[in-house]
Amino acid sequence: MAISEAHAGRRYPGIDPYQISAAKIAEFATALGDDNPRYRGQSPIAPPTFAAVICAPAWNQLFSDPELEISLERIVHGDQRFTFFRPFRAGDVVIAKVTVDKVRVRTGSELISATVDISGRDGDQICSAQATFSHVRRAPR
Amino acid sequence: MKATVAEAVEVGTQLPSLTVCFTRERLIRYAGAATDFNPIHYSEHSAKQAGLPGVVAHGMLTMGTALRVVTNWIGDPSRVTSYSARFPRPVVVPDDADGVEVEFSASVSAIEGSLVTVSIEAISDGRKVLGAARAEVDLGVRVPHRDHES
Repeated sequence: MAISEAHAGRRYPGIDPYQISAAKIAEFATALGDDNPRYRGQSPIAPPTFAAVICAPAWNQLFSDPELEISLERIVHGDQRFTFFRPFRAGDVVIAKVTVDKVRVRTGSELISATVDISGRDGDQICSAQATFSHVRRAPR
Repeated sequence: MKATVAEAVEVGTQLPSLTVCFTRERLIRYAGAATDFNPIHYSEHSAKQAGLPGVVAHGMLTMGTALRVVTNWIGDPSRVTSYSARFPRPVVVPDDADGVEVEFSASVSAIEGSLVTVSIEAISDGRKVLGAARAEVDLGVRVPHRDHES
Protein backbone atom coordinates (compact mmCIF):
# COMPACT_ATOMS: atom_id res chain seq x y z
CA MET A 1 0.00 0.00 0.00
CA ALA A 2 1.14 3.54 -0.72
CA ILE A 3 1.78 6.22 1.85
CA SER A 4 -1.41 7.51 3.49
CA GLU A 5 -2.63 9.58 6.42
CA ALA A 6 -2.46 6.40 8.50
CA HIS A 7 1.35 6.61 8.49
CA ALA A 8 1.36 9.66 10.76
CA GLY A 9 3.33 8.80 13.87
CA ARG A 10 5.47 6.20 12.08
CA ARG A 11 8.94 6.06 13.60
CA TYR A 12 12.20 4.72 12.27
CA PRO A 13 15.00 3.10 14.27
CA GLY A 14 17.56 5.85 13.83
CA ILE A 15 20.78 6.11 11.89
CA ASP A 16 24.03 4.43 12.83
CA PRO A 17 26.08 6.74 15.07
CA TYR A 18 27.78 9.29 12.82
CA GLN A 19 31.10 10.85 13.75
CA ILE A 20 31.48 14.38 12.43
CA SER A 21 34.96 15.03 11.09
CA ALA A 22 36.77 18.29 10.43
CA ALA A 23 37.27 17.09 6.86
CA LYS A 24 33.53 16.59 6.27
CA ILE A 25 32.78 20.01 7.76
CA ALA A 26 35.35 21.62 5.45
CA GLU A 27 33.93 19.73 2.46
CA PHE A 28 30.41 20.91 3.29
CA ALA A 29 31.48 24.53 3.84
CA THR A 30 33.35 24.45 0.52
CA ALA A 31 30.23 23.11 -1.23
CA LEU A 32 28.38 26.17 0.10
CA GLY A 33 31.24 28.42 -1.02
CA ASP A 34 31.60 29.53 2.58
CA ASP A 35 35.07 30.54 3.76
CA ASN A 36 34.10 31.31 7.39
CA PRO A 37 37.22 30.50 9.47
CA ARG A 38 35.07 28.78 12.14
CA TYR A 39 34.51 25.94 9.65
CA ARG A 40 38.23 25.30 9.15
CA GLY A 41 41.19 24.14 11.22
CA GLN A 42 41.52 21.42 13.84
CA SER A 43 38.39 22.08 15.96
CA PRO A 44 35.78 23.54 13.65
CA ILE A 45 32.07 23.89 14.14
CA ALA A 46 29.85 23.06 11.18
CA PRO A 47 27.64 25.39 9.15
CA PRO A 48 24.16 25.20 10.75
CA THR A 49 22.66 23.53 7.67
CA PHE A 50 25.22 20.72 8.05
CA ALA A 51 22.19 19.25 9.83
CA ALA A 52 21.12 18.11 6.35
CA VAL A 53 24.13 15.75 6.25
CA ILE A 54 22.82 14.04 9.38
CA CYS A 55 19.21 14.17 8.22
CA ALA A 56 20.01 12.52 4.86
CA PRO A 57 20.37 8.94 6.13
CA ALA A 58 17.37 9.42 8.44
CA TRP A 59 15.22 10.72 5.55
CA ASN A 60 16.47 7.80 3.44
CA GLN A 61 15.07 5.35 6.01
CA LEU A 62 11.70 6.95 5.37
CA PHE A 63 12.04 7.23 1.59
CA SER A 64 13.20 3.62 1.23
CA ASP A 65 10.47 2.15 3.45
CA PRO A 66 8.85 -0.38 1.07
CA GLU A 67 5.44 0.09 2.67
CA LEU A 68 5.33 3.76 1.62
CA GLU A 69 6.10 3.10 -2.08
CA ILE A 70 8.10 6.30 -2.47
CA SER A 71 10.36 7.01 -5.46
CA LEU A 72 13.22 9.28 -4.53
CA GLU A 73 13.24 11.13 -7.86
CA ARG A 74 9.60 12.14 -7.28
CA ILE A 75 10.37 13.67 -3.88
CA VAL A 76 10.51 17.48 -3.77
CA HIS A 77 11.59 19.31 -0.62
CA GLY A 78 8.80 21.76 0.21
CA ASP A 79 9.97 23.45 3.38
CA GLN A 80 12.48 23.08 6.15
CA ARG A 81 12.81 24.32 9.68
CA PHE A 82 15.80 23.81 11.97
CA THR A 83 16.00 24.51 15.67
CA PHE A 84 19.58 24.49 16.94
CA PHE A 85 20.34 23.77 20.58
CA ARG A 86 24.08 23.96 19.99
CA PRO A 87 26.39 23.88 16.97
CA PHE A 88 27.69 20.66 15.41
CA ARG A 89 31.38 20.23 16.21
CA ALA A 90 34.13 18.07 14.75
CA GLY A 91 34.41 14.98 16.94
CA ASP A 92 30.70 14.86 17.78
CA VAL A 93 29.15 11.41 17.50
CA VAL A 94 25.51 11.98 16.67
CA ILE A 95 22.40 9.93 16.09
CA ALA A 96 19.21 10.95 14.31
CA LYS A 97 15.69 9.57 14.43
CA VAL A 98 12.96 10.43 11.99
CA THR A 99 9.25 10.45 12.76
CA VAL A 100 6.43 10.99 10.27
CA ASP A 101 4.35 13.82 11.74
CA LYS A 102 1.61 14.03 9.15
CA VAL A 103 0.65 12.86 5.68
CA ARG A 104 -1.77 14.81 3.49
CA VAL A 105 -2.98 13.13 0.33
CA ARG A 106 -3.59 15.63 -2.46
CA THR A 107 -4.60 15.25 -6.07
CA GLY A 108 -1.48 13.89 -7.72
CA SER A 109 0.79 14.10 -4.71
CA GLU A 110 1.29 13.35 -1.07
CA LEU A 111 2.64 15.90 1.40
CA ILE A 112 4.81 14.25 4.02
CA SER A 113 5.81 16.16 7.16
CA ALA A 114 8.61 14.59 9.14
CA THR A 115 10.84 15.56 12.05
CA VAL A 116 14.42 14.44 12.51
CA ASP A 117 15.71 14.70 16.06
CA ILE A 118 19.49 14.87 16.19
CA SER A 119 21.25 14.23 19.47
CA GLY A 120 24.68 13.49 20.82
CA ARG A 121 25.84 10.16 22.21
CA ASP A 122 24.77 11.22 25.70
CA GLY A 123 21.26 11.98 24.49
CA ASP A 124 21.80 15.76 24.52
CA GLN A 125 19.63 17.44 21.90
CA ILE A 126 21.61 19.19 19.18
CA CYS A 127 19.06 19.97 16.48
CA SER A 128 15.45 19.35 15.52
CA ALA A 129 14.75 19.41 11.79
CA GLN A 130 11.18 19.58 10.52
CA ALA A 131 10.62 19.10 6.80
CA THR A 132 7.74 18.83 4.38
CA PHE A 133 8.26 16.79 1.25
CA SER A 134 5.94 16.56 -1.71
CA HIS A 135 5.84 13.16 -3.37
CA VAL A 136 4.56 13.46 -6.92
CA ARG A 137 2.34 10.45 -7.54
CA ARG A 138 2.20 10.78 -11.35
CA ALA A 139 3.78 7.73 -12.93
CA PRO A 140 6.97 8.35 -14.93
CA ARG A 141 6.38 8.39 -18.66
CA MET B 1 30.86 37.95 17.26
CA LYS B 2 31.55 41.19 15.54
CA ALA B 3 31.33 43.76 18.33
CA THR B 4 29.56 46.31 16.19
CA VAL B 5 26.52 44.17 15.34
CA ALA B 6 24.55 44.48 18.59
CA GLU B 7 25.30 48.20 18.86
CA ALA B 8 24.18 49.04 15.34
CA VAL B 9 21.28 46.66 14.82
CA GLU B 10 17.69 47.82 14.57
CA VAL B 11 14.56 46.61 12.83
CA GLY B 12 15.08 47.28 9.14
CA THR B 13 18.89 47.01 9.26
CA GLN B 14 20.03 45.67 5.88
CA LEU B 15 22.71 42.99 5.88
CA PRO B 16 25.37 42.97 3.17
CA SER B 17 23.91 41.05 0.23
CA LEU B 18 25.46 38.18 -1.69
CA THR B 19 25.23 36.96 -5.28
CA VAL B 20 26.24 33.39 -6.04
CA CYS B 21 26.30 31.41 -9.30
CA PHE B 22 24.91 27.91 -9.08
CA THR B 23 26.60 25.70 -11.66
CA ARG B 24 26.31 21.97 -12.30
CA GLU B 25 29.72 21.63 -10.64
CA ARG B 26 28.36 23.22 -7.47
CA LEU B 27 25.36 20.87 -7.48
CA ILE B 28 27.60 17.81 -7.78
CA ARG B 29 29.83 19.15 -5.03
CA TYR B 30 26.85 19.77 -2.76
CA ALA B 31 25.33 16.35 -3.55
CA GLY B 32 28.53 14.69 -2.39
CA ALA B 33 29.03 16.91 0.64
CA ALA B 34 25.42 16.55 1.79
CA THR B 35 25.09 12.93 0.56
CA ASP B 36 21.89 13.94 -1.22
CA PHE B 37 21.95 11.91 -4.42
CA ASN B 38 18.44 12.55 -5.66
CA PRO B 39 19.03 12.29 -9.45
CA ILE B 40 16.93 15.42 -10.17
CA HIS B 41 20.03 17.34 -9.05
CA TYR B 42 22.35 15.89 -11.70
CA SER B 43 20.33 13.99 -14.32
CA GLU B 44 18.32 15.84 -16.99
CA HIS B 45 16.48 12.60 -17.71
CA SER B 46 15.39 12.12 -14.09
CA ALA B 47 14.51 15.78 -13.64
CA LYS B 48 12.23 15.73 -16.70
CA GLN B 49 10.62 12.47 -15.60
CA ALA B 50 9.84 14.18 -12.30
CA GLY B 51 8.09 16.95 -14.24
CA LEU B 52 10.83 19.55 -13.79
CA PRO B 53 12.09 21.76 -16.63
CA GLY B 54 15.65 20.55 -16.06
CA VAL B 55 18.24 19.78 -13.42
CA VAL B 56 17.47 21.77 -10.28
CA ALA B 57 19.51 22.87 -7.28
CA HIS B 58 18.97 21.20 -3.93
CA GLY B 59 16.63 23.34 -1.84
CA MET B 60 19.12 22.86 0.97
CA LEU B 61 21.93 24.28 -1.20
CA THR B 62 19.89 27.45 -1.70
CA MET B 63 18.93 27.55 1.97
CA GLY B 64 22.48 26.85 3.16
CA THR B 65 23.97 29.46 0.84
CA ALA B 66 21.37 32.03 1.94
CA LEU B 67 22.43 31.63 5.57
CA ARG B 68 25.91 32.85 4.61
CA VAL B 69 24.42 36.35 4.53
CA VAL B 70 23.59 36.00 8.22
CA THR B 71 26.73 34.19 9.38
CA ASN B 72 28.95 36.61 7.43
CA TRP B 73 27.22 39.40 9.32
CA ILE B 74 27.41 37.98 12.85
CA GLY B 75 30.75 36.25 12.29
CA ASP B 76 30.01 33.44 14.76
CA PRO B 77 27.69 30.82 13.18
CA SER B 78 27.04 29.19 16.58
CA ARG B 79 24.73 32.12 17.37
CA VAL B 80 22.10 30.88 14.91
CA THR B 81 19.30 29.33 17.01
CA SER B 82 16.74 28.58 14.32
CA TYR B 83 16.38 28.76 10.57
CA SER B 84 13.41 28.04 8.36
CA ALA B 85 12.41 28.45 4.73
CA ARG B 86 10.00 27.23 2.09
CA PHE B 87 11.05 26.18 -1.39
CA PRO B 88 8.35 27.74 -3.60
CA ARG B 89 10.02 26.96 -6.92
CA PRO B 90 13.18 25.16 -7.96
CA VAL B 91 16.35 26.86 -9.17
CA VAL B 92 16.93 25.39 -12.62
CA VAL B 93 20.65 25.07 -13.31
CA PRO B 94 21.69 24.97 -16.98
CA ASP B 95 24.52 22.77 -18.22
CA ASP B 96 26.85 25.59 -19.23
CA ALA B 97 29.86 27.47 -17.93
CA ASP B 98 27.91 30.30 -16.28
CA GLY B 99 25.16 28.48 -14.39
CA VAL B 100 22.42 30.61 -12.87
CA GLU B 101 22.69 33.59 -10.55
CA VAL B 102 20.98 33.63 -7.18
CA GLU B 103 20.84 36.94 -5.29
CA PHE B 104 20.55 36.82 -1.53
CA SER B 105 19.55 39.80 0.60
CA ALA B 106 18.43 40.08 4.20
CA SER B 107 17.22 42.52 6.78
CA VAL B 108 16.42 42.50 10.48
CA SER B 109 12.68 41.95 10.93
CA ALA B 110 12.35 41.66 14.71
CA ILE B 111 14.36 42.17 17.90
CA GLU B 112 13.50 40.78 21.30
CA GLY B 113 16.13 41.09 24.00
CA SER B 114 19.25 39.52 22.54
CA LEU B 115 17.31 37.58 19.88
CA VAL B 116 17.36 39.06 16.40
CA THR B 117 15.21 37.71 13.57
CA VAL B 118 16.59 38.14 10.08
CA SER B 119 14.35 37.76 7.02
CA ILE B 120 16.17 36.55 3.94
CA GLU B 121 15.24 36.83 0.28
CA ALA B 122 16.64 34.68 -2.49
CA ILE B 123 15.92 35.71 -6.07
CA SER B 124 16.82 33.82 -9.22
CA ASP B 125 15.66 34.74 -12.70
CA GLY B 126 13.55 37.50 -11.14
CA ARG B 127 11.58 35.15 -8.92
CA LYS B 128 11.71 34.20 -5.27
CA VAL B 129 13.29 30.80 -4.73
CA LEU B 130 12.98 30.84 -0.95
CA GLY B 131 9.77 31.68 0.86
CA ALA B 132 9.44 33.06 4.38
CA ALA B 133 13.15 32.45 5.04
CA ARG B 134 13.94 33.48 8.59
CA ALA B 135 16.94 32.96 10.80
CA GLU B 136 16.96 33.74 14.47
CA VAL B 137 20.29 34.67 16.04
CA ASP B 138 21.17 35.19 19.67
CA LEU B 139 23.61 38.08 19.86
CA GLY B 140 24.36 37.21 23.49
CA VAL B 141 23.82 40.77 24.63
CA ARG B 142 20.59 42.70 24.84
CA VAL B 143 20.14 44.93 21.86
CA PRO B 144 19.84 48.54 23.07
CA HIS B 145 16.22 49.65 23.02
CA ARG B 146 15.33 52.12 20.34
CA ASP B 147 12.05 53.85 19.69
CA HIS B 148 11.29 51.72 16.63
CA GLU B 149 10.62 48.74 18.87
CA SER B 150 7.06 48.04 19.91
